Amino acid sequence: MSSNNLDTNSGFPTGALAGYRVLDLSDEKGMLCARLLGEMGAEVIKIEPRIGHQARRRGPFYRDEKNSEHSLFWWVMNAGKYSVTCELDSSEGKKVLHKLVEQCDVLIETSVPGSSRDRGLDYRTLSRINPSIIVASITNFGKTGPYRKLPADDIVASALGGHMYLNGDPNRGPVRTTVQQAWAQVNAQAAVGISIALYSRGLNGGLGQQVDVSMQESMANAMDNAQQTWDILKINNYGPGVGRMREGQIGARYIYETLDGWVACLGYGGLVGVTADSIVDWFNESGEAHVLNSSTWRKRLSMMDLFTEEEQNLLEEVVAKFCKKRRKDDLVKEAQRRGAGWAPVYDPREIVESVQLNERDYWIRVYHDDLGESFFYPGPPFRLSKTPWRQRGRAPFIGEHNDAIYSDLLSLSSEDLRTMRRRMIV
Amino acid sequence: MSLNSLQKPFAGLRVVDLAWVGVGPTVSKYLADHGAEVIRVESATRPETLRRAGPFANGPDINNSGYYANFNSSKYGISINLKHPKGPQILKRLIAVSDVVTESFTPGTMADLGLSYEDLRKVREDLLMISMPLYGQTGPWANYAGYGHVLQAAAGFNHLTGWPDGEPIGTGIAYTDFLVPHFAAFALIAALDYRRRTGEGQYIDFSQFEAAIHALGPTILDWTVNGHNQKRMGNRDPEAAPHGCYKCKDGEFVVISCFTEDEWSKLRAALGRPDWSDLERMRRKWSRLSEQDEIDRHIGFWCEERTSKQVFSIMRRFEVPCGIVKSPEEMQIDPQLRHRGHYWELEHPTMGKRTYDGPSFRLSKTPGELTKASPLLGEDNERIFTELLNIDEEEYNELLVEGVLE
Repeated sequence: MSSNNLDTNSGFPTGALAGYRVLDLSDEKGMLCARLLGEMGAEVIKIEPRIGHQARRRGPFYRDEKNSEHSLFWWVMNAGKYSVTCELDSSEGKKVLHKLVEQCDVLIETSVPGSSRDRGLDYRTLSRINPSIIVASITNFGKTGPYRKLPADDIVASALGGHMYLNGDPNRGPVRTTVQQAWAQVNAQAAVGISIALYSRGLNGGLGQQVDVSMQESMANAMDNAQQTWDILKINNYGPGVGRMREGQIGARYIYETLDGWVACLGYGGLVGVTADSIVDWFNESGEAHVLNSSTWRKRLSMMDLFTEEEQNLLEEVVAKFCKKRRKDDLVKEAQRRGAGWAPVYDPREIVESVQLNERDYWIRVYHDDLGESFFYPGPPFRLSKTPWRQRGRAPFIGEHNDAIYSDLLSLSSEDLRTMRRRMIV
Repeated sequence: MSLNSLQKPFAGLRVVDLAWVGVGPTVSKYLADHGAEVIRVESATRPETLRRAGPFANGPDINNSGYYANFNSSKYGISINLKHPKGPQILKRLIAVSDVVTESFTPGTMADLGLSYEDLRKVREDLLMISMPLYGQTGPWANYAGYGHVLQAAAGFNHLTGWPDGEPIGTGIAYTDFLVPHFAAFALIAALDYRRRTGEGQYIDFSQFEAAIHALGPTILDWTVNGHNQKRMGNRDPEAAPHGCYKCKDGEFVVISCFTEDEWSKLRAALGRPDWSDLERMRRKWSRLSEQDEIDRHIGFWCEERTSKQVFSIMRRFEVPCGIVKSPEEMQIDPQLRHRGHYWELEHPTMGKRTYDGPSFRLSKTPGELTKASPLLGEDNERIFTELLNIDEEEYNELLVEGVLE
């Protein structure tokens, strides 16, 4: 990827989607999706305006240096892609794009509905050029409907997608996850839609189609059982803070403070239910089971009896006191040994240092030749035995592969390219 | 080729779905809703967790859970007791005539039953199989128990959800259950496409933990590259001001965000260009970013005097990014979701007409279709065992009597 020689056979030799070519015109709603297709073996060409895609201005930045080649957001979302520049608002730029479309299998775009037609990106136009093309339009609300033109970003989609109503605290209101989840969701779900369209194409004589993806709906699909709870019981679930929501009621706390952070566990850490005896035994070994170490209590805990509010507070207090004196990784290890499904609350550093991930050689070292440094990136989100997921190198510089793509793929001469450059098309 | 003659994407594909709870069933739901014959294999001896979890329609019963139903549209249901010595044998006969096996047991369980990928390839050479437990097939945590509600903690979502001065509350739901299935489904379908093109099956080791981390990419790199350990910021964003959630007169909440100067000037217009918004320190985003408390206070007052619908309508007119934080009830009547037909209503034999989620995407020529409500436990036993597997009446009755099909 660091050289300008584009050899698709050596660049993207393996993978379940090897042989497919993807044009990526997307913003934050589709860049991860296109990257996933690339890591599965497709050749992905990112198309940017000559000044670079606006997502290059999104932080965080390498050493906090704000420049268009140093956005970590850009790095991680576009790793392994080729980049060509093309001014799609000009009619000549559109012609260039249409020539690329002739040789591609998938095009991913994220323009606001109504504006894409003006840019020659609408499915009718593209499918006339290449009837096999799959055009994925990833938009805020879908291509049609009353909200189709509304501006939206991650928090707006989290709100209008219902997901945010379920997060937060009854005293402080709804809260968004600080790292953009509406974007993550719509990217991942779009990848599913595109892969279904590719499979369908093989089954149906090579016929392409449009995949119309809605970010709002991708969040609506992340509402757990809240939709069914409304449908059946006419109860609205809502953000329960540190408790667990069930049918409009805030249940037991599931986050407990430890000596060095927090742990997560359901059902009072397994005190209630099938693991009751084993957890009482554990607490009792250090004399911290309090009244729970009695046959009456053990029986009630095992059979998941109904507990008064006072008793619930007692259970919570026993677990809280026990956790407060111990380290989270030790707690989780011992709880798991006893059959209870605890997990540590990890921050980014702890995730990177996780023994589980390191034992599985998860992290991938990506070399940035321009900086002479390598950095760890997240590794395989799935491990396929025959066509393994493969990280495909660093993200491209602006227009890094113009020469290679335009001459190899479109057979443009260096004279043609010079002219296009002079006319500010590429 | 006319549209009428098009086949559904997964027409002719048979999937044996041994997975349970949220993740696995969501993966096979994609396949079922797009034309595959998905057969859920369950057992009354150990009912699937979600069948025992509410909300229940028409009273608690293993066939009445709305939680289970939503993940299992368009599927068929059979029951096999895999603990019975004959159970795995019967299952193998089904797998021999199937294309895909999905499972999410604790690693090692399938092998103990004689149903490892290697075992199964002997009866179906081009089999595609995916295993999807929390932490993958190997490593010190491979056998760890848990659910999406706590996996979100290990995967960073608790640390990154909540207020900076408060506890790591996380999302209020089993978040990773609604994130990682899309990664698994993508992997499975890509592998299916490879199988279609080459005739070769394969095995997929899927770790929910490993997939979830891809939803935090830039935050992970901020640590591995810069050594910045990011933390939850309430409703704020490091690059937008305002970026918040505000309570309105009707008690509902709205969100408003401005990433660009253009959005900020539209917001100013929507608010009626109040004096505070014209102060020197409000004129540039980089300086607004340090005035967020004040901005939030002003917008908060403004919203308190209006209903959420009024705020949304004003912001919509001025093209400011804004949304009402919609409750499940409001989602049902949301005009956009209505227009898109996001929710499907399906008639279930014991639950009646119930609402199901559809996919977030529409394929223009071969769209997804939720063809039926979720299966009753063992609903399709007779058809699958006697018609598909040609088990004769005598043997079928024997299996019933011996409890193999419980």
